[in-house]
Amino acid sequence: MLEYQIFFDYGPMILLGFWLTLKIVVCAIALGIPLGLFLALGRRSNFEIISFISTSFIELFRNTPFIIQVFLFYYVLPFYGLRLSAEYVGILALAAFGSAYFAEIIRAGIDAVPKGQLESARAIGMSDWQAMKNIILPQTISIVLPPLTNQTLTLIKESAVLSTITVHELTMTGLMVQGETFRPFEVFIMVALLYWALNETIATIMRKLEKKFSKDRKKTDTTKPRIKNLQRKGL
Amino acid sequence: MKSIFLEIKELNKKFGPINALKNVSLNISQGEVICIIGPSGCGKSTLLRAINWLTPPDSGMVKLEGKIIGSENGKLSIEQSKLLNDFRARMGMVFQQFNVWPHLNVLENVIKAQIVVAKRSREVAEPKAIKILSDVGLKDKIDEWPDNLSGGQKQRLAIARSLAMDPVLMLLDEPTSALDPELVGEVLSVLRNLVNEGMTMLIVTHELGFASKFGDRIVFMDGGEIIEEGAPNIILKSPKTDRLKLFLEKLDITSLKEKH
Repeated sequence: MLEYQIFFDYGPMILLGFWLTLKIVVCAIALGIPLGLFLALGRRSNFEIISFISTSFIELFRNTPFIIQVFLFYYVLPFYGLRLSAEYVGILALAAFGSAYFAEIIRAGIDAVPKGQLESARAIGMSDWQAMKNIILPQTISIVLPPLTNQTLTLIKESAVLSTITVHELTMTGLMVQGETFRPFEVFIMVALLYWALNETIATIMRKLEKKFSKDRKKTDTTKPRIKNLQRKGL
Repeated sequence: MKSIFLEIKELNKKFGPINALKNVSLNISQGEVICIIGPSGCGKSTLLRAINWLTPPDSGMVKLEGKIIGSENGKLSIEQSKLLNDFRARMGMVFQQFNVWPHLNVLENVIKAQIVVAKRSREVAEPKAIKILSDVGLKDKIDEWPDNLSGGQKQRLAIARSLAMDPVLMLLDEPTSALDPELVGEVLSVLRNLVNEGMTMLIVTHELGFASKFGDRIVFMDGGEIIEEGAPNIILKSPKTDRLKLFLEKLDITSLKEKH
């Protein structure tokens, strides 16, 4: 039987953990996506040093387990005089891990834009960066949004690993409450529901964004939606 | 004799073992319309793309308005690299595949480079864009998205986009080859207007009818070399080399010869 009292007694504590997860994840994404863009552009750079550093960074963080990266950040940084709280280490580790994947997604998006787009921009006199900013990147948005969403959801779930370095986020709080109450079912159903709610919210928002970006271009195309509407009405 | 306006000197380009350009030199005076013809893979597109350094040649140089781009070993000096974007902005380029920018509507396609490259204000750029779009017959399409345009309209948009930068020279790489036959005419008529306005143009084309009527000079290329060049009526009616004869025979232009 479910013991409903646990939801009321420990709910607020769990929510506090959820609040920290939310903060950590938002910071990690806010850092990770720009860093990913930077790495993606760096990997394409004509300067070999920049492209080598970017590629190494991406490959390193893509090909090692996240939990090992977290341990490295947490236990190794202090040796070099960087004493950060577990929360900050967690944000850095998540951002680094995420950026490697974000970079590859953005790179694939850039590659998916037809070559002629860059050529026509360069031919008209735009610098490489002007062409990237005005012509290529705006066209990659609708391409990269779905995989970017996927990666964001993965990142949120991976944040549970931070419980291993004493970050009092959602998973860690859940473990603690479980230890106190010995009611794993009630506790972890709360934890799972909160992760689910967060991811579902983000997925819904991103789906709306995707629709907006793909619709913008077609907004003068009046015939297609009309046909679709007719089909929907069964006519 | 008019003075030389665009000077192309000893351009060389190799793609692996293939010589795409072999010592290609060409002098063009202001207002001249040069049509480049030749079998596919003969280097005619590479020549256009080498002129604005989109495909950097291995060696050679291009001189436009007194500015030189290029060198013996193909490397650009630091000043030349800085100059390159301005240099390109002076030449309009039109591609076979249009390459209009699908994320911008028709008007913005013509405004974008004016603001980003020529640093014009929107107040200047917009009326100019509208004027040029009406010149190419797209005035009623300014709010459309490129995806909704026909091939001919896309190519006219691409031409308008280039013209908005006030180029002194237009490079056109098979501007009508990707079009349905019934749409070729509308693009050619835009080009005809450009010829009449005195625009200097280099056109890679298979439209021998257009070339013979509006070209001042026809350049025949094969194997990365210029084989023959001269006035259209001479070069098309009495080709000197076997290679050009063969090429013209393949195109079966007997009917065309009778017309002119």
